[in-house]
Amino acid sequence: MVVRNPLVGYLIWALLFGALFAWEGLSLARVGSLPTLSDVFRVIMRYPVGRWALFALWLWTGWHFFVRGWHFLLRA
Amino acid sequence: MPTSSPVSQALVPMLVGYLLIMAALGAGLRLLARSKTGGPQAGSRTAGRPEGTRPAAGSRHGWLLLARHVAGTAVGGYLLLMAVVIAYYYGVARVAGDFITSAFTGTAMLTGIALPLWGAASWLTERRGQRDSDDAGEREARSP
Repeated sequence: MVVRNPLVGYLIWALLFGALFAWEGLSLARVGSLPTLSDVFRVIMRYPVGRWALFALWLWTGWHFFVRGWHFLLRA
Repeated sequence: MPTSSPVSQALVPMLVGYLLIMAALGAGLRLLARSKTGGPQAGSRTAGRPEGTRPAAGSRHGWLLLARHVAGTAVGGYLLLMAVVIAYYYGVARVAGDFITSAFTGTAMLTGIALPLWGAASWLTERRGQRDSDDAGEREARSP
């Protein structure tokens, strides 16, 4: 079964990004003791494994959006 | 495993992504709370910059350290992603097409494009900062 209407997917993505931005907004507004994303990334990047994971995530994102499935320039 | 299932194609990646982000945020919160209660950066809201990652102005040693740090991160991240891709391909779903080849070559190409650009940008930024601090020093020396 394949979902033909992508609206549900978009809604879920919007919800996830909304939650992420809400988190960042609240932490920047200093509501409670929430760390900002920059704080979190700094902590993660203190450790080699954290840096590898972030780099891998960045690579995967770039590969997924800009390489896979593209037939223009980037793929023969 | 059917790859066309909406569960495996959409819901699982989204949930995994969400859980990864939330786990990272949770781990960050925990580590931050721990560093607030004790440690060298107690009381600081932000974590410190990794030591030895910023080259001192004009220092060849600093640039070498930075290059080593970045190369280690790039190689480690690349190998980690390849391990995940292979585990996903053989353990979860045999994605059609040249999935593995594309993963190896595509990500290597992205790394090959990004790292030189990042290096050039870092060098230019450092050079500009050095020039600005030199100018400020000269102005200070001239002022009575």
